[in-house]
Amino acid sequence: MAIVLYREPELEDPILIASWPGIGNIGVIAVDTLRRALKAEELGEIEPWEFFYPKRVVIRDGILKTLAFPSSKFYFKRTQNCDLLFFIGEEQPDSGTKLYAEGAKAYKMANLVVDVALKFGCRRIYTSGAAVAPIHHTTSPRVWAVPNNSLLLKEMKNFQNVVLMSDIEGHGGQGNITGLNGLLLGVAKRRGVDAVCLMGEIPIYLHGFPIPYPKGSRAVVEVLSKILGVTVDMTELDVFVERTGKEIEAVYSRLPLEIREHLDKLVSMSYRGEVESGPITEEDKKKILQEIDKLFKRETSDD
Amino acid sequence: MTTDTSGITQVKFLVEPSIKVAPLIITWIPDAGKVGSGVCQYLIQNLGGFVFAEIEPVGFFPLDGVVVQDDVAQFPETKFYCCQQKDLLIVSSSLPRLEWYTFLTTILDVVDRICKVKEMYIIGGMASASAHTSPRALLTVANSSQTKGIIEPYDVVKDMEYETPEGQRPTLNSFLLWIAQRRGIPAVNLWVQVPFYLVARKDPQAWKEILHFLNQRLELGVDFAELDSMIAKQNQKIARARMESPELDRCLSCLECNLGLSTSESESLLRRMEELLDQQD
Repeated sequence: MAIVLYREPELEDPILIASWPGIGNIGVIAVDTLRRALKAEELGEIEPWEFFYPKRVVIRDGILKTLAFPSSKFYFKRTQNCDLLFFIGEEQPDSGTKLYAEGAKAYKMANLVVDVALKFGCRRIYTSGAAVAPIHHTTSPRVWAVPNNSLLLKEMKNFQNVVLMSDIEGHGGQGNITGLNGLLLGVAKRRGVDAVCLMGEIPIYLHGFPIPYPKGSRAVVEVLSKILGVTVDMTELDVFVERTGKEIEAVYSRLPLEIREHLDKLVSMSYRGEVESGPITEEDKKKILQEIDKLFKRETSDD
Repeated sequence: MTTDTSGITQVKFLVEPSIKVAPLIITWIPDAGKVGSGVCQYLIQNLGGFVFAEIEPVGFFPLDGVVVQDDVAQFPETKFYCCQQKDLLIVSSSLPRLEWYTFLTTILDVVDRICKVKEMYIIGGMASASAHTSPRALLTVANSSQTKGIIEPYDVVKDMEYETPEGQRPTLNSFLLWIAQRRGIPAVNLWVQVPFYLVARKDPQAWKEILHFLNQRLELGVDFAELDSMIAKQNQKIARARMESPELDRCLSCLECNLGLSTSESESLLRRMEELLDQQD
């Protein structure tokens, strides 16, 4: 298992921004948007075969031509303010049992990413993922920041639209970040690198939704561009946000009225405030998720 | 777990056969039409093979219980056989569930320790919407144009075109073919058609297609008498059932004429054939 670097540019205290797919693909869409907007160049990759099962085979005229694996690629970009490294994983390594990476493979991959970060003298790592929150899909998502070092808390709070776990009602500063977007924070801490996970909010009733939630990614890109001091053209992402918004609206309109009434309460819900018509109870939450699940099962069988 | 001096962990070497160069045949359990186990057992019985190594299942299989098949509890196993008289190596293995890359490289590492692989054949059965009485195509995929040259003289399908459909993943056989390519081992995937209603049962005709090719290519001198008798017996059993059931006959006739069956017809044919082939003679 190895890292392959296509080139070794001289970078000055670069910042690494990394992500793997997860809930709503919020993190990976955000990081990829930033990478493409800044026209970052390919730097290298992690050899995939010990981490992943092949994803595609091509046979031509009876001969095996290609066996493709999910990619795990590094990119770099020098900007006016700082040098950047990107890491984008097409999939999280398969542990065979869980949806998100865990165990030895996940740990190995996180360490390989940190190896590259340290090789280029990285001083900070950002990862990105999703924060499942009691919000409505018509409201603007916030970005939850979780650093691996308490000294970073104050810095993170300075950014607009960023909240800490302790700002979220009912969390009391506690929670967990599953998969590699979270694990990388821990591995970075162990190896002495500051890291922060930025998580774009996704409505609780959409977290099992089989489509991306770029609205959450947009919120992350806004925060990251402020942190890095770069300007990012959001046109393409906005089109994506609008398209998925319509898809979500179409599904939403087909939910039973009773469920929609419950969910509509989230429009006026604020983190520290009460909902005018009463909060959504655990019982409501269960019912809502069951209803959405049912709706998707119906949609899938309709296909 | 056994760790031997070669550094290959999780492998138990029982004996070390003395072979310098050998062809290698890889078979899997389960396989459509029980092709993997059928071909492996027939070769071993015919050519006198013995087990020389095993891979321990830990790490490659979930080991969360046992599967019961034909009333018997099964346990994953990976056995390496040697047919010394013909300088042939055969691997018979349960399909690994985890760590495919490590598992497949371990197989090749074990064989490497014994001898150089001259050429490798990876066996597989593939479900087809054809009748058992129709000719079975043997499809091949080589891992290089040079390797394709090896199979050029034989009556097999050599011009397969395929791309993994959206939402599916490549097979273990394709993965092994690719690993062999990287290690410079000439390798060929052999896919034999198995009528869909025989996928979960024995399909000795499919075994014969594979064995016939291997016999020609590797000059094994296989005696087909017993296999021919198995094929004839199964065909007679189905033929008798066709005479007794006009519906079964109609469905099989449709397939023989390359006419498709509806889902309910296919399901009914499948059930009927499974009942029939499960009956003891």
